[in-house]
Amino acid sequence: MKKIFLVFFIFGSLVYGYHYDNLLLKAQASIFPKIMLLDKKLENKLVDGKIVYTIVYGKNDYQTALNINSFIDENHKGHFDKYDYRVDLVEFTDLSQETQASAIYALNSNQYIEKVAEIAKKKGIIAFAYDISNLKNGFLFSLMLEKSAVLYLNKENLYPKKIDFVESLFQIVRFLNTNN
Amino acid sequence: MKHKVFYNQSLLISAILLLVSLNDLSAKTGSILESISSEMKHFNNIATETKQNEHYQPYIISVFQGKKLQKLGVSNLKEALTLVPGVDMATDNFNNQTPIFRGSNSLAYGQSKLFIDGVLVNNVFFDAYSEYLSIPIEMIKRVEVVRGPGSRTDGVNAYAGSIHVVTYAEDFKGFESRDKLIFKYGSYNYGMGGFMKTFKAKDFRLFVDFFYQEDDKELPAGPDGLSQGVFGANNVSLSRSGDAPLWLRDYSLGVNLTYKDFSIKARMLEHTGGSAYGINLALPQRSDRLKLPSYYFELAYKKQTDNYKLDIKAGVKYDTFDSKSKLLPNNLNVNNIIFTDGIRGEHFSKQRTVYQSSYLKYSGINNHLITAGYRFMKEETIDMASKLSNRATGDVELVDYSDTLPFFDGDAKRNTLILSLQDEFQFNNDLSFIYGFNYEQTSYENAGIDPRVSMVYQLDLENIFKTIYSRSHRNASWQEMFTKNNRARVGNTKLKPEYVDAFEFAYIKKYTSDSYFQTNLFYLLNKDQIYNSSTDPEYKNAVDTDIYGFELEYKGNISSVDELYLNYSYVTGKTNRKDEGKSESLPNVAHQLAKGYYIYNLNNALSLSSVAKYVGSKDRVSGDTRDKLKTYSTLDTSLNYKNQKYNYSLTASIKNIFNAKVTYSSPPNTYIEDYAQERRNFLIAFTKEF
Repeated sequence: MKKIFLVFFIFGSLVYGYHYDNLLLKAQASIFPKIMLLDKKLENKLVDGKIVYTIVYGKNDYQTALNINSFIDENHKGHFDKYDYRVDLVEFTDLSQETQASAIYALNSNQYIEKVAEIAKKKGIIAFAYDISNLKNGFLFSLMLEKSAVLYLNKENLYPKKIDFVESLFQIVRFLNTNN
Repeated sequence: MKHKVFYNQSLLISAILLLVSLNDLSAKTGSILESISSEMKHFNNIATETKQNEHYQPYIISVFQGKKLQKLGVSNLKEALTLVPGVDMATDNFNNQTPIFRGSNSLAYGQSKLFIDGVLVNNVFFDAYSEYLSIPIEMIKRVEVVRGPGSRTDGVNAYAGSIHVVTYAEDFKGFESRDKLIFKYGSYNYGMGGFMKTFKAKDFRLFVDFFYQEDDKELPAGPDGLSQGVFGANNVSLSRSGDAPLWLRDYSLGVNLTYKDFSIKARMLEHTGGSAYGINLALPQRSDRLKLPSYYFELAYKKQTDNYKLDIKAGVKYDTFDSKSKLLPNNLNVNNIIFTDGIRGEHFSKQRTVYQSSYLKYSGINNHLITAGYRFMKEETIDMASKLSNRATGDVELVDYSDTLPFFDGDAKRNTLILSLQDEFQFNNDLSFIYGFNYEQTSYENAGIDPRVSMVYQLDLENIFKTIYSRSHRNASWQEMFTKNNRARVGNTKLKPEYVDAFEFAYIKKYTSDSYFQTNLFYLLNKDQIYNSSTDPEYKNAVDTDIYGFELEYKGNISSVDELYLNYSYVTGKTNRKDEGKSESLPNVAHQLAKGYYIYNLNNALSLSSVAKYVGSKDRVSGDTRDKLKTYSTLDTSLNYKNQKYNYSLTASIKNIFNAKVTYSSPPNTYIEDYAQERRNFLIAFTKEF
């Protein structure tokens, strides 16, 4: 029994990673675009008059990114409120300062998360993360399905000069405790 | 002056425009916020209904998605349940298979409850549900397994655990199920065909699922019970070894209909199997059969207002025990009457359960959700027949003994009323409590009050703690109460319910949104467990059992293209047989169980997976001199191809690839060898979605 215990714990501590929860993906795809609309400086982020919602993904997650794109199109039917939008799918390796984006939504990556956060910061756009743990790496928002659905915001990553949310948004978000 | 007036007017208009525009902005902001809140509520409801937020729920639960199980090559509900931490399988001479939760009374049925789309389907005869264990996995959207008595649902007391099977009838906006066609082929000439179809119009929705499956499985068994002298020393020589008929013929039609606030759930399951190891423990003939059909019909009304949610249900369920077989071999000698052509028998017992429940949830008090209600059940045997070869002459032709020598009490009935009160209290964002009780009265022994208190504490994003105390009971099954004129089983209507007091603690470490490590500790104090033996066949409240142990669960990935799930459980304890004044360590229980699966996605279309299971050795009951039941390990492997363009998938699996000897324990003085299960076998499954 000791051996089984040891193997379990050693294996358990070595293995670490992620997969995607379909419900969480859809919840985020429904809610995150609406968060953008509460930014009073959204007009400055439009690309050719459109919102560009850029999904960044790893090579193996192309299908997941494509599914999110389809879900957004089905759900939002071409408009985020009064704005036309476009969803761009961009691989982590292809993302740069030149990539057109009004906001970025990142799937998981072991390598590129900080790079994405840095680009979003420089561009002054909102960075949404699939995984809550990426808020510590510079992302602004994530959503969790806990006992209730919780929208997390890391206030440290909010740059008021470029992103200015309506005050009432802060009543429905939970601020990330950075000591976590 | 004119200029000044004009200036003032301009200022006023500007102010009004600004005000209008601010109002407009404010209205727009309000509408967006409202929309976000409504979406969050919608997804929260789905997460709660589908147990996606299982780690924050006040019970110990494992959830398996049907599509993932399909990918793993899992064939049916039984195979899915063997993946659950702390759950093992047992069987009997009817091949009445039943999951054993955390080593709890492996001889009894009814320790766990099975719900199909929320409808309790345990049959009244055994209080078991083996007829449902062969449901093809393709018909199942999700399996939710709650371990421990904290799992009561709508007033139903689950003693050791409850299994909730959710079919594709479940429907949420944005998560609609697709129509589906399924074909499967496998070892033992297994063949299966099925479909599911949804019809929708405005407020009306109809979901239909159907499947047919059959196989001609026979597995080696014997020497049979006659070798142990169950029919006297003079019949020992008639004992046989051979193949036990474990074949299967199943068809099932399910209908779920919703119209506005009303819904109907109905299912007809016709389950027929070979007579397995024989009612009288003599190896049956291939054509001998046992039918366990199950039908249910439930009408429900749900109404929700701001603070109230009303849920009213009424339903009827029929289940039958219907056996036709050659019970004993040619030339059997009973009290010097020679049955030259053996003894044939037909046993039939049909039960009806009528139930009605009403529950009201009230959320008008801040941070509280109060649920109160009742469930009333009337269970009765509505038809019974007992036919045997002529006991006086030894002639094989059947004689109707339904009145003179029934195998069962044809007038069996029981009324049960359960009252429930519960409060879910959200103290703050991190801490929540559930406390409440069930009070139960029956027309036999009353169970009284079963309390329950649980707490969930979320320390931070990564660490969650749960503690649960709950008390529950199991009422005696029909078999334990009403069996008559049987050498091996004698019913007892004075049986008290079995009780369990359960103390559970869980710690969950969440690494990411989707990977976690969970530890559960449990201590179960079982009182008055129902027991019989070959030396004293009358069922009695004869056993107290203390069980304790732990479960470890890990789910995560090694790379971004794979998925790993592992669990390990350890259980130990002591059984005290009050009538014999004996104590022993848990008999027929595997102290260690380890299960897991690994899926490697070769690309978007192809995946390779493995399922591994380890079941530790089991001690025998005292007095059984056979060696311990041996440890076994199995490994299954599957290749899954999913065509995204045409929406079909093909899975090819080899199960028990190393041909391990898997056996379930046979009771002492029955079959000497334990009940052998499937060796290496294969399965091919094709699913097309529309």
